Amino acid sequence: MNHMERQAPRPSHFASSTVPHSKSVSLRNVSKTFGDTRVLHDLSLDVHAGEFLVLLGESGCGKTTALRIIAGLESASEGSIYVGENDVTQQLPRDRDVAMVFQSYALYPHKTVFENIAYPLIVRKRAKAEIDAAVRDVAASVHLEPQLDRYPRQLSGGQRQRVALARAIVRRPAAFLMDEPLSNLDAKLRGHMRAELKHMQHELGVTTIYVTHDQIEAMTLAHRVALIDKGVLQQLDVPARIYSDPANLFVAGFIGSPPMNFLRGTLANNRFEAEGLTLVADVNHHGEAVLGVRPEDCMLVTAADGEFRGHIYSVELIGDHSLVTLNVGEQQIVVKVSNMFAGEIGMEVGLRANRERVYFFDQRSGLRIRQC
Amino acid sequence: MIRRLFVPARLDEIPIGTRVIAYGLLGLWTLVVLFPLYWMAITSFKLPIDVSNGPAYVPFIDFKPSLDAWHYIFVDLGPDTFRPYVNSLIIATFSTAAAVFLGSIAAYALARIEYRPPVAAVGLGVLMLAVVVAAVGWGGVDLRIAVAVCGAFFFLLLRPIIRRARRHFANDDILFWIISQRILPPVVTVIPIYLTFKSIGLLDTRSALIITYATANVPIVVWLMFDFFASVPKEIEESAQIDGATRFAILFGIVVPLVAPGIVATGLLVLILSWNEYLFALFLSTANAQTLPLLVAAQNATRGPQWWNMSVLILIMILPVMLLTLTLQRFIVKGILVGAVKG
Repeated sequence: MNHMERQAPRPSHFASSTVPHSKSVSLRNVSKTFGDTRVLHDLSLDVHAGEFLVLLGESGCGKTTALRIIAGLESASEGSIYVGENDVTQQLPRDRDVAMVFQSYALYPHKTVFENIAYPLIVRKRAKAEIDAAVRDVAASVHLEPQLDRYPRQLSGGQRQRVALARAIVRRPAAFLMDEPLSNLDAKLRGHMRAELKHMQHELGVTTIYVTHDQIEAMTLAHRVALIDKGVLQQLDVPARIYSDPANLFVAGFIGSPPMNFLRGTLANNRFEAEGLTLVADVNHHGEAVLGVRPEDCMLVTAADGEFRGHIYSVELIGDHSLVTLNVGEQQIVVKVSNMFAGEIGMEVGLRANRERVYFFDQRSGLRIRQC
Repeated sequence: MIRRLFVPARLDEIPIGTRVIAYGLLGLWTLVVLFPLYWMAITSFKLPIDVSNGPAYVPFIDFKPSLDAWHYIFVDLGPDTFRPYVNSLIIATFSTAAAVFLGSIAAYALARIEYRPPVAAVGLGVLMLAVVVAAVGWGGVDLRIAVAVCGAFFFLLLRPIIRRARRHFANDDILFWIISQRILPPVVTVIPIYLTFKSIGLLDTRSALIITYATANVPIVVWLMFDFFASVPKEIEESAQIDGATRFAILFGIVVPLVAPGIVATGLLVLILSWNEYLFALFLSTANAQTLPLLVAAQNATRGPQWWNMSVLILIMILPVMLLTLTLQRFIVKGILVGAVKG
């Protein structure tokens, strides 16, 4: 691994390349169908100027399609796309004033690093001196100066990644589009580049739309996260609220590791009942429901003190904490406890949950049942 | 044990006995490949008597070299050697350029753009063609009238057929159709091609051979270049699109440099095919457009095979192709796409 990739935080290099004309990006009721399959359904998004928005979802949920529609690589079946005030729905990619970083980097293998970075300026027929200055400036900001005369095949993965970034930055576009830019890097480098990216976006202040399936990337990078499932926007919010205030079962189950516990039961008369437990619930709802509580919002107590009881099914020591799986009736619940916890399999324990962090969802629609 | 035979070893790890055998076999094969060339080279310096008293292997020892055959070809035959030579150069160059250009853009389109011609529309076209043939052949209808009527019907019915189409051909079908053009033995097509050029008055012209060779070689170019274009990652082109390049700039600034090895290799192959072509040249040319293969064959005429003259002709005939191959070889490099995508 090249030592360039491991450097500690350094003074900002971006001051001279800050983009003053960062613009908002909007999707209005965008749908996309491929043949008979609908991959995006009525997606509306407003990304503010300078915002870092992450499109998060499982592979095949339509997030990459959404990004490609913004870039102009795919056409929207319905709806329109705006960059700033301009309706770009019918415009070619090159007229949209956006730059894109591909998952595979998509460098031009027959061009040197310099030529790769300069390409967007060369095809726009900028003056040679201007191109030279801009490329060197950007190369310095991503620490590629020593590699300018190399070819992509001579670079490490992290360096190629930075060439792709530099090529996007050099044009000073209205918005960056990034399609899983870190997923081809090894885990350590990915963490490092994540910090670099966040710093860079902060310095440049460019509107950034970032596609990922990695919730850690989404939570750490984003100003706001748009969680998409099966082509439908599930929730658009700041990371903290995506975590603490999920709109539905999908969001609740997607965010958090280990995932949120779900217990199926019924709600009636301000009580939630499932096999082996009855809880007071301050929601006014009747019918089949799902109780959701995160492992970190539960507490193990003695059997007598618990709101309900369970039997220990397994104990896993993770390091700084342990995960205890309990059998509650027919269902299971995972609790995050101190790594000092010593419990035997089969032991009966009591369980308490942080009442403010207990969520109820409608079993059929998956929608959150809010407190009255 | 068997596995070991297929594991590439470093040269100094191979046992000495194995190495001797390996190099022995390689040397033997080199002889097999190069000996005919050597034989031709020395035959071109032999007198007819040296050949008929033959076999003579080593110049100056077995026989006294003479420039008689070279004199005959370059001086006695003179213009009759150079005319076919120039013809061959022009015909091969232009037909190769045309075939590579047309075939490459077709292959690029097939690799990048999805076509869905409705089966019914293609069927309609074939049907109308058959009607024209039947009307002209059996009905004695004037060709122009038949074409006009059937053409009108074709375009009239095309839109409703396309609108109702359910089954479509895909790019693979088009690719196969193009390649299938080469399945037919060329000898089958010689007579129709001869008649066509006769009717438009192009017999014994270079144009006729350029058109024929280019047409015959386009399928080969499409077939070979399709894989080269398809191997260029799509994201590179998409990236260039977003970077601001036009379609034209992407094709010639990004894609063509990346498939250059393919273009060079395909071009050389097609050039050699055109350069050595005999059958079509035999039918379509008499004197003016005569090419080198015909001239070589002509040395095997009335007085029996003139091996010495043939050898001279073949030597000067393979010379340009050899030089070209050696010059262009450096473009045929592997791994030009390394570093484009993935880490």
